[in-house]
Amino acid sequence: MNRFKNARLSSKLFITLVATFLIIFATITLVTFIIVRDLTMSTQKEKAELLIDAVEPSISLSLFLGVKDMGNKLSSITRLDEVIALQITDGNGKSVLDYHQYGSASSYETIKISKNLMEPSSLKPIGTITLTYSGEEFSKTMDRFYTLYGWIALSVFVILWIMLIWINRLLLPIKLIAKKVRNFKPGEKITFDIPYAQREFSQIIHAFKVMQESVWNYSHEIETINKNLEIKIAEQTHEATRHLYFDNLTSLPNRLKLQEDLSTKPTNTVAILNIDDFKEINDFFGIDAGDWLLSQIAHWLVEMKLYPYRLGGDEFAFRLKQGSTPAEFRHNIEMLLSLLSEKLFMIADETVHVRATVGIAIDSDKPLIHADVALNKARSTKQPFSVYDQSEGIEQQYQANIAMSARIRQALVEHRIVCQYQPIVSTLSGKIEKFETLVRIKNEDDSLIAPYDFLPIAQKTKLYHHITQEVVYQACNLFAARHEQFSINLSGSDILDSRTVATIENILRQTGTADRVIFEILESEGIENFDEVALFISRMKSLGAKIAIDDFGTGYSNFENILKLNVDILKIDGSLIKSINENPRHKIVVEAIVHFAHRIGIDTVAEFVSSEEILQNITDLGITYAQGFHTGKPQFLNQQLM
Amino acid sequence: MRFLVLFFITFLTVHAEDTLLLDAHIKMIPKIMALNTRIATKGSSSKSLLAIVYEGNRKKMAQNIAYGIDQTHNGKVANITFDTIVLSSEELLSRRDISFVYLTKMGTPSTKKIASWGIENSIPTFSYDVSDLDEGILGSIAIERSTIIYINKTTLKEGKFRFNDTLFQIARLTE
Repeated sequence: MNRFKNARLSSKLFITLVATFLIIFATITLVTFIIVRDLTMSTQKEKAELLIDAVEPSISLSLFLGVKDMGNKLSSITRLDEVIALQITDGNGKSVLDYHQYGSASSYETIKISKNLMEPSSLKPIGTITLTYSGEEFSKTMDRFYTLYGWIALSVFVILWIMLIWINRLLLPIKLIAKKVRNFKPGEKITFDIPYAQREFSQIIHAFKVMQESVWNYSHEIETINKNLEIKIAEQTHEATRHLYFDNLTSLPNRLKLQEDLSTKPTNTVAILNIDDFKEINDFFGIDAGDWLLSQIAHWLVEMKLYPYRLGGDEFAFRLKQGSTPAEFRHNIEMLLSLLSEKLFMIADETVHVRATVGIAIDSDKPLIHADVALNKARSTKQPFSVYDQSEGIEQQYQANIAMSARIRQALVEHRIVCQYQPIVSTLSGKIEKFETLVRIKNEDDSLIAPYDFLPIAQKTKLYHHITQEVVYQACNLFAARHEQFSINLSGSDILDSRTVATIENILRQTGTADRVIFEILESEGIENFDEVALFISRMKSLGAKIAIDDFGTGYSNFENILKLNVDILKIDGSLIKSINENPRHKIVVEAIVHFAHRIGIDTVAEFVSSEEILQNITDLGITYAQGFHTGKPQFLNQQLM
Repeated sequence: MRFLVLFFITFLTVHAEDTLLLDAHIKMIPKIMALNTRIATKGSSSKSLLAIVYEGNRKKMAQNIAYGIDQTHNGKVANITFDTIVLSSEELLSRRDISFVYLTKMGTPSTKKIASWGIENSIPTFSYDVSDLDEGILGSIAIERSTIIYINKTTLKEGKFRFNDTLFQIARLTE
């Protein structure tokens, strides 16, 4: 069925015509056959009956009268070639006549007609006459019929064949049109050279021509639009490229451009210049003024023929020019810094001095990274510039930091952040009354990583709060089952992080340890973020917790702040304690702290108590608690009481 | 058995007649009578009367023929019942109830009278002798190569006889 659907139009037409012809022809043939057959048979029967009718009365009468000799009466029919046989029987079934034509062994079909012979007066049956009539004429008629219809069928077949050729020829223009249209391309014009075509095809060709004209006009329009689009795209691409590779503020090539230039050009000596204290300029004069200053600096760097790049923010970069040596490059950078320090820039009628720090990477395989490393080194060492030196191992340190960061993250996930607890002993009773919680990372081999190895890195990678929360959780849950006080170190960032503070509050409430916990805060944190720290202290003390100032005695050691913050304990810095026996100045400082603490009624804790002598000394000074290896090393605790 | 008796009687009494022809007449005469389409109008009784007519001393001969007819047809042919009676030519001429007349051999004058009587009364007359048709008798049966019924066409018209048409197909009409 699908083959017919997809067949060619000429095939469909031909098949339809053939099917229609065949159906009509077969129907007519069948009907005609039946009619001719029945008619011929009927005619032959009628003839046979007529023959019987012709002789039947006289035969009946002869039979009635008992006249045996019927030959002369029947000769009128027996002489006919069509009469094959004639039988007459009387009422008793006795044969009166049995005539058979000589040599009538015909292969034709025969027609046998029987009729009763009736008594002339009473019309009672007195015998039977049976005539066997030749079917030769019937057979011949049918043969003629078959021959005639054979010829008709042959004629129909020939007509259909001619029709197929004619249909193909009739539909040839469609093929030609299709072939032409198939090869049509917008912008080209095709001509339809059809040798002959009916009106329908002429209309199709005309329609195609009109359509072609429209397509041609349309393609022309599209072509124009495309050209305009190409121009616009080129402009947009140029603009995008400019945005991609050039800084909007200074119109200098950006970091991406520098990276591409470095990858395509053989030079690998780079310097990164960072404007010193630019944040303060921004804060003081405003961001717009800062941007204005950056533009001026960029303009000045261009004037200096250094071909600068702007890496972002207050950072610019320079690349070693082709033909120059690294030594010349370094000299140029030194000159630049010198000139920059003398240059005055104008911001809203104000003159501004700008200083900068430069990191230089010479012949480096990672010039940008190494220049940045050198820049960091220069800043940390307060030098105007620094040249990257691979032997210093700074990059290796970075790699170690990255590895440590991954280890911290892994330890958090695998719950390998553990706590040790160092006893804090009362100098009066000599008993352990408190513990300081000290965090460790437990390695896979059960070895421990000390906090000074990972906490600075954790603080820079935003993992510190997670460690703090874990430590608070572990310590509070442990001491919930014990009776001692315990202290936990908090950083300024912990206190500033509202989520960490909320978590601490929740843990304290859940474990019921708020009245025994002591939060140790560096004095410096309280100075830098006084309001936030004061608020935190207030919230914790309202829960029952105590606050200790850790490492007191170094740095600012501002007594006024201690009073304001309302702390409970001062932990005297270990550097004062460990040399208290040898250094009288340290002893004086410690005495002052202890005196102050006694006066305001708060406890003191001496750290780094590493010997009995120190312990005795601090006890004599009136320090209330001692902490150090002499009084107790950090240890793991369980929930059972000691 | 019936045929043997008939043959014996015929041999003894009617030696003057052609036995074969007479036998054919005995068989066919009643049947030809039945072919008369006007037979219902003839006779006073419900039965038709077939008269065997003789002249002179040929009564016995007539009686034998009547007997042969009775024996052969038993008073019934087709849908007609009939009686066979023997009458002299004089007796016949005074009768009007006769349906069919069969004449034995007799002289020409009597034959003519009976022929005229038959035409006048429209009563079919058949004779033993075919030559009687020349005297105006309606018909006779002869055996030539085959059995032939002769009918006098003139008498047929004059007497306005009506027979089954088929009879005329097999009969030979004479003028």
